This record gives sequence, C-alpha cells and structure tokens, in this order.
Amino acid sequence: MPSLVEFLQSIVNGIGLGLIYGLVGIGFCVIYNASGIVNFAQGVFVMLGGMVCQVLLAELGLPIWLAIMVTIPLVALSGMVMEFAIVRPMMHRGATLFAIILATLAAQIMIERITLITFGDRPRTFSEFTSGGPFKIGGVAIGYQLFWILGCGALLVFLLWLFFTRTRVGRALRACSQNSEAAQLLGVPVSQMMLVAFALSAALGAIAGILVTPTQYTAYNVGTPFGVNGFIAAIIGGFGRAGGALAGGLLLGVLQALAIVALGAGFKNVAALSALLVVLLLFPNGLFAGFGSAARSQ
Amino acid sequence: MTAVSAATADVPLLEAKDISASYGHVHALKPTSLHVAEGELVTILGPNGAGKTTLMRALTRLTPSRGNVFFRGRDVSRLSTNRLARCGIVMVQEGRGLFSQMTVRENLVVGGYLHPGDIDTHLQAVFELFPRLKERLDQLAGTLSGGEQQMLAIGRALMAKPQLLMLDEPSLGLAPRVASEILGTLRELNRRGIGILLVEQKAPLALKLAQRVYVISLGRIVVELKTDEIESHHDLARYYLH
Repeated sequence: MPSLVEFLQSIVNGIGLGLIYGLVGIGFCVIYNASGIVNFAQGVFVMLGGMVCQVLLAELGLPIWLAIMVTIPLVALSGMVMEFAIVRPMMHRGATLFAIILATLAAQIMIERITLITFGDRPRTFSEFTSGGPFKIGGVAIGYQLFWILGCGALLVFLLWLFFTRTRVGRALRACSQNSEAAQLLGVPVSQMMLVAFALSAALGAIAGILVTPTQYTAYNVGTPFGVNGFIAAIIGGFGRAGGALAGGLLLGVLQALAIVALGAGFKNVAALSALLVVLLLFPNGLFAGFGSAARSQ
Repeated sequence: MTAVSAATADVPLLEAKDISASYGHVHALKPTSLHVAEGELVTILGPNGAGKTTLMRALTRLTPSRGNVFFRGRDVSRLSTNRLARCGIVMVQEGRGLFSQMTVRENLVVGGYLHPGDIDTHLQAVFELFPRLKERLDQLAGTLSGGEQQMLAIGRALMAKPQLLMLDEPSLGLAPRVASEILGTLRELNRRGIGILLVEQKAPLALKLAQRVYVISLGRIVVELKTDEIESHHDLARYYLH
C-alpha cells in the first residue's frame, strides 16, 4: 500500500509527464484540425526535439537557450518537409486519408532509422534547465524541471489560444478545420495553412521533447511511446480539441504514475490503455467533447 | 428547348468557354459556355441534378474542370480557388458553408482574410446591409436562424470584396418572406456594381432580379435569354414563372 507521500509524489510526476503528453496531443489536434489527417509521426518530433538539442549542447557546445532557439525551428522545418514532400503530393494525387496516415507512420519509422544511423542507439540526456533541487514540500520532491514543464506548458497553451483566436492565420486555420472549401472561397490558401499546421505541430513536439529530456533521456526510438500516449491523450480529450488533449494528457500522466506506484511499472501501459477503453466505451467522442464547442468558440 | 441568343456586353466580367467537369465516369457538366457582364445579375435555372452546382464548383475550381475561364479578359482557368478569390470571384456555397463553431464576428473576420487592413470598414458596411448580424456578433454561427445564417454567408463573402459574387441556392430552406428579403439584398448589391451569378430554385423570385437567365439541363446550358424575353417562351414561362 503506497504511503500518502508516495501517492502525492506520483501525482506530481504524473502531472509533469501528462503535460508532455498533452503537448503531443495538441500537436495531433493541430494537424487533424487543419487537414483531417492523424499524423502518426507526431512522436518523432518529440524525439527530434530532445535529440537535436542534446547534440547542439554536447557536440557543438551551444548554451541551452541558443540550442533551444535553434532546435525548435529545425524540427518545425522537418514538419514542413513532411507536409511538403509526403502529405501534399499524396493529397494532390487523390490519396485517401488512410493512405496518408499510413505514410506518416512510414515517415516516423524512416526518421527513426535515419536518427539511429546518424546518432547511434545510445540514450542521451542533458542537464535540467535550472541546477540544484529538488524542491521539497513535506516529503514530496519536485524537480525544478517540473516547474519549467508546468510554466512552459501553461505559457504554450495561452500562446496557442492567442494564436487561434486573435491572429489572422490562427483564425484561418480554424476556419480550414471546419470548412476548408468555404475557407478557400474566401481566399485562404489551404495548402499554406497545412504547412503552418505541420510546422506548429512539429514545434510543439520539439518543445515537449526539450522539456522532458532532462527528466528522462532521448533515443532514436522514444518517439513511439510519446506518440502513442499523445494520441491517447487527444482521444480522451475528444480528438481535435486542444484543451481536451491537454486535460486528457494530464489525466493519462497522473493515471500512469499512480498505476506505477500502486501496481508496478509493468502496469503503466495497461492503465493507459484501460483508460482509453473506458473512455471509448462510455464517451465515444472523448471525455471533453461536451466542452469542445465552447472552447473552440472562445 | 431551343437556344436563344441574348445581347452580350462588351467586356465580360466572367467568361467561361467549353467548361466541363466529371465525377469519375459521370459527365456532370458537358462543355458549356456562359458569361456575366460587368454589373450584371445573371441567374441559372434548372431542375435538380441538372448540373447547376457542378457548374458553380467548376467555375470556382472546387471541382476540377476542363475548358477556359476568363475574368475581365484574363485567363484564370488554372488558378486555384483561393487565387480566384484574390481576383475578386467569391462564392457562397449551397448550404451556406459557415464556420459553425466560430462566432459571427470570427466568420466575418475570416471573410476579410485577403484585406486585413480594411476589416473594420467592411464590417460596418456589412452591418449596414444586415443590422441583425451586429446584434449576434458573439453568437456561434451554427446557432443562428436559417435567415441569419444566409445573411452571415453573404456578409462574409462581401468582406472579401467580390467583383463577382456567385451564390448557390441562397434561399434554400428559408421562409418565403426571408428568401425575398435575401434576394432583395442581392438586387441592392447588384445596384452597387457587384456582378452576380445566381443559382436559384425559386425561379419567379430570381427572374424578377436577373437581367439574363441560363437554363441548364442534363449538364448542358440549353437556353440563354434576357429575362424579359421569357414570357415569349411559353414552355419556359409555364415551367418557371407560374
């Protein structure tokens, strides 16, 4: 039976990881809303974020802030390349959404292999942004990196809200998600919006990867679990709803952490998939589907 | 039915030559030509399934098409839908095509995507035309009544500063009084110099507004005439006026 401290500690750990899942889930939503595509290569952006940042820090000796500033646009660029080289040509050739989704899965495997060949299979990590710690409340240890994850997560959600509700491109992206033909008829360049969506989604994945790597590690194959958990988070939240994905991620992260404490690490994924099953059975449109309309309208 | 020539304007605003479209092996629109002169209001009539919507979609490149389309003499046949909007060709789709999960204000602002510097000016112009939209600004578009939705669809299209406004069945599903009000607004817009190409099931209403009419049947334009000539075509008059 876990103690109260262990219980609280697992919730704290789960919140950190859950926010990362949430960010990955939002990445899924951004692309899905703009194009109807589920980008199964979403997890690879998390891996690239951590990997590129680590290489810039360790191999080139860049300071952390500069490494981050370089990593995010580089990974965003990889997202744009994926849209331009894979998704767009397939769409122009009339490929079905299923074929395009399969192509994104193939892209994930390809990028993982290229990363393996280029950087090897050694797990890599880098220091937390703020040295020292952890910060202790009672017996619960809170690493400083968790504050970075919480702060950056909250800031990103706020910035995304501003982007989607207050900017010309953000509103156009939402319009494309609801009726892309009507958006085109008003002069919105839908293909450019897709490019923006992939760049934004990849950047979100990169930020998630940069934030989480100091607390764990990165390697060529970490993208898949992050992708799967981000996908589950997005489904729990009601696929396509950014706020729902974040909440779904938090729920999933905490649930996984509690499962580790209560049942052991082997039950982490069982807990996640059980949660998904329960959600799908009871709420086929996601836990937060009812709030989606209001959230989108804000 | 026999084809009847009508007077053509000197410089067509829109001219389509032998435009055609297919869905797989189905030739929904056979090679068809039409034109809309500057400041003209033209209506397209025809039974359900005749190809009216396909024609509108082909003209705006929502549906891939063959043939040539000229706008003010410029060949725009290969331009994408959003580039056509940039040229001034804007369409209100059948079913209105609103962004139902966005507010009235957001719909209108997206309508002004191409003219971000003039949003406030154009919003005021839309509110003068449809004062009811001003009262509904923060309401979700999907929660508006049918008439208000159509006002929003037209207002949103006006935000894009169209030179040619194309409308596909704007009165569909509206009460007769509301439909009449909407079509009256189109007359006003036409008076202000906007060319209008209108597909409309309520033929008597449409024929009161239009200067010319095309009748489409089985994917082909079969009749073109001035609206004041329609009385002399007894078969058409009986079918569309009464």
